[in-house]
Amino acid sequence: MNADAGRRVLPVLFALLLVVTPLAWYLPFWVTGVFAGLVLIRAALVWQRRPLPPRWLLVLALLVPVGFLWLTLKTLVGREGGVALLVLLAGFKALETGGLRDWRVLLALGFFLAAMPLLFDQSPAAAVWLVVSLVALTWAMARLAGNPPRAGWRQTATALGLSLPLMLVLFFIMPRLSGPLWSMPPSRQTAVTGLADDMAPGSISRIIPANTPVFNVVFDGAPPARRDFYWRVRVFDRFDGVRWYEAGTIREETLQLLGGQPYRYRITVKPERRRLPVLDYPAENAPDPAQLQPGLTWSSRRSTAEETIRLPAEGRSGARLAEALDPARLAHYLQLPPGNPQARALAARLRQRSADDRILLRGLLDTYRSQPFRYTLTPPALQGQIVDGFLFGSRQGFCEHFAGSLAFLARAAGLPARVVVGYQGGRFNPDGGFWQVRSADAHAWVEVWLPSEEAWLRVDPTATVSPDRIAAGAESALPVLQPTVPVIGGAPPAWLGRWRQMAEAWSFRWQQWVVGYDADRQRQLFRRLGLGDEVSAPVVLRGLAVGMLLGMVPLLWWWRRRPVADPLASGWMAVRRRLRRAGIALAPSDGPQDVLGKAAGLAEADRIELEALTQHYIDWRYRGQPASAAEIRTWLRAVRRFRPRQRAA
Amino acid sequence: MQSFDLALRQLNGLILGKPVAVRLAVTCLLAGGHLLIEDTPGVGKTTLAHGLATVMGLDYRRVQFTADLLPADILGSSIFERETGGFRFQPGPVFAQLLLADEINRASPKVQSALLEAMEEHQVTIEGVTRTLPEPFFVIATQNPAEQLGTFPLPESQLDRFLMRVSLGYPPREAERALLMGENRRALLATLLPALDGASLRRAQAEAAQLTVSTALADYVLAVLEASRRSGRFVQGLSPRAGLAIIAAARAWAWLEGRDHVLPEDVKATLPSVIGHRLVPLEPGVTIEEEVARLVMHVAVP
Repeated sequence: MNADAGRRVLPVLFALLLVVTPLAWYLPFWVTGVFAGLVLIRAALVWQRRPLPPRWLLVLALLVPVGFLWLTLKTLVGREGGVALLVLLAGFKALETGGLRDWRVLLALGFFLAAMPLLFDQSPAAAVWLVVSLVALTWAMARLAGNPPRAGWRQTATALGLSLPLMLVLFFIMPRLSGPLWSMPPSRQTAVTGLADDMAPGSISRIIPANTPVFNVVFDGAPPARRDFYWRVRVFDRFDGVRWYEAGTIREETLQLLGGQPYRYRITVKPERRRLPVLDYPAENAPDPAQLQPGLTWSSRRSTAEETIRLPAEGRSGARLAEALDPARLAHYLQLPPGNPQARALAARLRQRSADDRILLRGLLDTYRSQPFRYTLTPPALQGQIVDGFLFGSRQGFCEHFAGSLAFLARAAGLPARVVVGYQGGRFNPDGGFWQVRSADAHAWVEVWLPSEEAWLRVDPTATVSPDRIAAGAESALPVLQPTVPVIGGAPPAWLGRWRQMAEAWSFRWQQWVVGYDADRQRQLFRRLGLGDEVSAPVVLRGLAVGMLLGMVPLLWWWRRRPVADPLASGWMAVRRRLRRAGIALAPSDGPQDVLGKAAGLAEADRIELEALTQHYIDWRYRGQPASAAEIRTWLRAVRRFRPRQRAA
Repeated sequence: MQSFDLALRQLNGLILGKPVAVRLAVTCLLAGGHLLIEDTPGVGKTTLAHGLATVMGLDYRRVQFTADLLPADILGSSIFERETGGFRFQPGPVFAQLLLADEINRASPKVQSALLEAMEEHQVTIEGVTRTLPEPFFVIATQNPAEQLGTFPLPESQLDRFLMRVSLGYPPREAERALLMGENRRALLATLLPALDGASLRRAQAEAAQLTVSTALADYVLAVLEASRRSGRFVQGLSPRAGLAIIAAARAWAWLEGRDHVLPEDVKATLPSVIGHRLVPLEPGVTIEEEVARLVMHVAVP
C-alpha cells in the first residue's frame, strides 16, 4: 500500500521530529515523547516494509493520550492545549499515512507545526530553528518527490531562495495587528503587556523587556522638563501584604490643583484595560472619551479596548495636589495588613526621631540611600514578609519594590500614602516631533499626604537609588544587557561577558525590530518611504494583489503564444482533451488506436473526423512520413475546429 | 501474410479459446525469439509447441528434460566408428530448426546452461569444434512453475534468453466444452498442414524486422524502461536487452496486424509477455501481471 513512497518517506519523518523538538520545552514532556515514539514506530515500519496498524486500534490508542492531556491541562484549546493536541494528532497521522498524497498532507502539517514554537518563544534562536525546520521540510518534500539527496538539497536551496524576497516583502507589508503578531491568549494569567490591575513584586519589571510603544504625545509649545514626565495611569490605595491594588472604596475626593505650569498636549494611545495615561497632574475636566477616576486618573469611555484613541489633554506640571482628608479617608490611606515587623520598627524609630512630617519623609527616603540598594530588572524572588525581605534582605529590586516598600514605611510611620503606577520619561522623536513612551518606561512611585501641608507629595524612591532612571530614562539605567542567568563560581571571563553583551544586544534589537515590528512601526516605515499616512498596509497589500494580477496578463498572453516545442504532440493533447470533454474516459496510457476504439460512441461525422485526424497523427508520428509545416498547420486548424459530441442515445 | 493467417487459424482450431496466447506465440517465432511456455500440466503447452512446429513447417525434435539428462544428450557427441576407425559426430536434438524442451526446469543447471548458450550463440562447441546450428533455430521450452520439488528453476539471467513467456491458463467454458466433445488432440495434430516453411518464415522475419519504429515509439519504450527502473516496485529494472526485445516483439506483432509501422498499442499488447519474466516484483504477494499492468498504466503514450 505504501510501497509507492518507499523509504523516500523517511526524510519526512525525520523533518517532523526536528520540527517538534523545540516544543518539548513548552508542552508537557510526555506529549513530545509520545509524538517521537509514534514517528519512530512509523519509521521502523517503513524501514522493515511492514503494514500499518489497523485504524480502529489507532483511534482507541489516540484516546489515551488525549484523555491524559485533558487531565493535565484541563483544556484542549488555547496555546498549550491546542498545540499539544495538534502534536498528538500529527503523531497518529504519521501512523496511518498510506499513499503519497497522505505523506504530502503530513508534510503540510509539518509546515504548520513549524510555526508553533513561535507562539511560545520569539527569540532569535526560535527563528533559527524555524529556518532549520523549513529547510528540513522542503528537503523532505524534494525527497518525497523522488529526487536523490543531492538534487534535493539543490531544489531546497532554490525553493527557499526564491521565496525569501516574498517572505521579506510580506513581513514588511502584511497588515499588522496591534501588538506582536503572534500574541495569543496565554494559558496562565500573565499580563505580558500593559500595566496590570495590581502591583506586586515583578508585575512591572515583567512588561519592561518587550519595550513596545505605548503612547505618543505631541506638546503644544514647550514640554516640561524630562524629569517631570510622570504619566499616571493607576493609583493603588490598598495593600494586602503582597499586592497593592485599588480598593474601589474611595468615591469622593476634594482635590485641588494649586500653582504649577499649565501644559497642553495631544496624546495618541491604545488604552490598556481602558486606562489612559495622563501627565501629572491632569485637569479635572477630562475631555471625551476620557473620564475622571479616583486618584486623579483617566479612563476611556470606549468599550473597545484595542482601539487607538487620540485626545487633547490639559495638565499642570509642578502643581500642588491639595486635598483635605477626613478621618475616614485618613484611616483608609494608613491601613496596613499585619506583618513585616522590621519595617514597622524602622518606621516607628524614624517617626520618634523626626520633628515634623517633612523630616520624617526625608528620613524614610534616606533609608534607601544609606543602604546598598540596587536597581535591577531581575531581583531575587521574595516570599513571606516581602517588605522586610526587600528592605533588610535582598535589597535588590525594581521600581515596584521601592515604591511598595516606601508606601508601606510611610503608612507605618503614620503618613497617609498610596502607590501610583504609570510611566516615567519618554523619548523625543526628532523626525516625528513627538514624544514616545514605551513599555520600558513603566514605573511606580509613591504619593504621600503631608498633614502639615494638606497636600499629596510625589515621592520617587527609585530616583534616590538610580538617579539615571529618572534623568535619562529606563534604557540607560536599566541593566537590560545584564546577564539574566547568574554565573556560578566566580566572575565570568571577560570575553564571555562581551560575547553575552553582544548576544543580549542582538536579542534586544531582534525584539525591537522583528518581534516588535507592529502596526506603528509599519506606519512609520511607510511614512519614511514617502507613502504618507493614507497608505496603510491593507492598501499596499491590495495594490500588490492587483499588481500581480496585472502582471499575469502578459504572462497569460505569452503562455498562449509560447512557441510549442512539438506542435504535433500538443495538437494530439488537444484532441484528447476535447474527447475527454465529450465524456470519453481516456487514460494517459492510451495510444492512438486505443483512443479510436474508445471513441466509437461518437456521432458519425465526429467519428469520421477523428479517424482522419488520428490517421494523420499516426502517419506523421509513428509511420515516419514527413509532414510539411503547412500540412501540420492545416491539421492543427482542424484539431481546433474539432468539437466532438457523443451520439445521441 | 496469408500463410500466417492460415497458420493462426489452424492453431486456434487446435488450442481452443486462446487466440491471444496463440498469436503471441506466433509473434515470438516471427520475431526470431525463443519462447517459454509456462503453465500447469494439461493445459496444452506441449500441444501448442507441437502445433507451432507443424504449421511453421519446421523440422523439430522434442526432448523431455529430466534430472539425469547430460549436455551431450542435447548437443550430441562423437561416437567411435569401427569401419573408419575414427570418431563421427552424432548431432544431438539441438541441431533441429525447432527444439521443444519439455519441462526445462527439471534438468540440471549444467544442461540448462548448455542449451541456453546454444540459444544465445546459435552455435555449439563440442569437443573443441564449433558447429553452427540450422537457421531458423528456435527453442520452445515449457515449464511448470507450480512444481518446485526436484526442479532447478531458471535464474532470471537465463530467463532473459527467452524473448517471450506465454501462459495459456484454463480455457473459457465454451472452448472447454468444445474440447471435451471434439476430436482427440493428438489425432488433430496429425491433420495439421504446414502453412509455411523455413524459407518463407525467414522472409517474414526479415520483413517484420524492417518495420518503421519512429522516435516517438522509441521514446515510449524508453519511458517504459525508465519507469521499470525508477518506480521502486521491482527488484531490478529492465535492461537495454529487454528494450531491444520489446521493439522486436512489437515489430512482429505490428507485422501480423498488417501494418508497416509500430504503434504503442503493439508494444502494450506484447509487453506483458516480453517483460513478465524479466522482472521480479518487490512487494510480496503481488503478481508480476498486476505489476506490469500497473506499469503500463503509469506510462503516458506520446
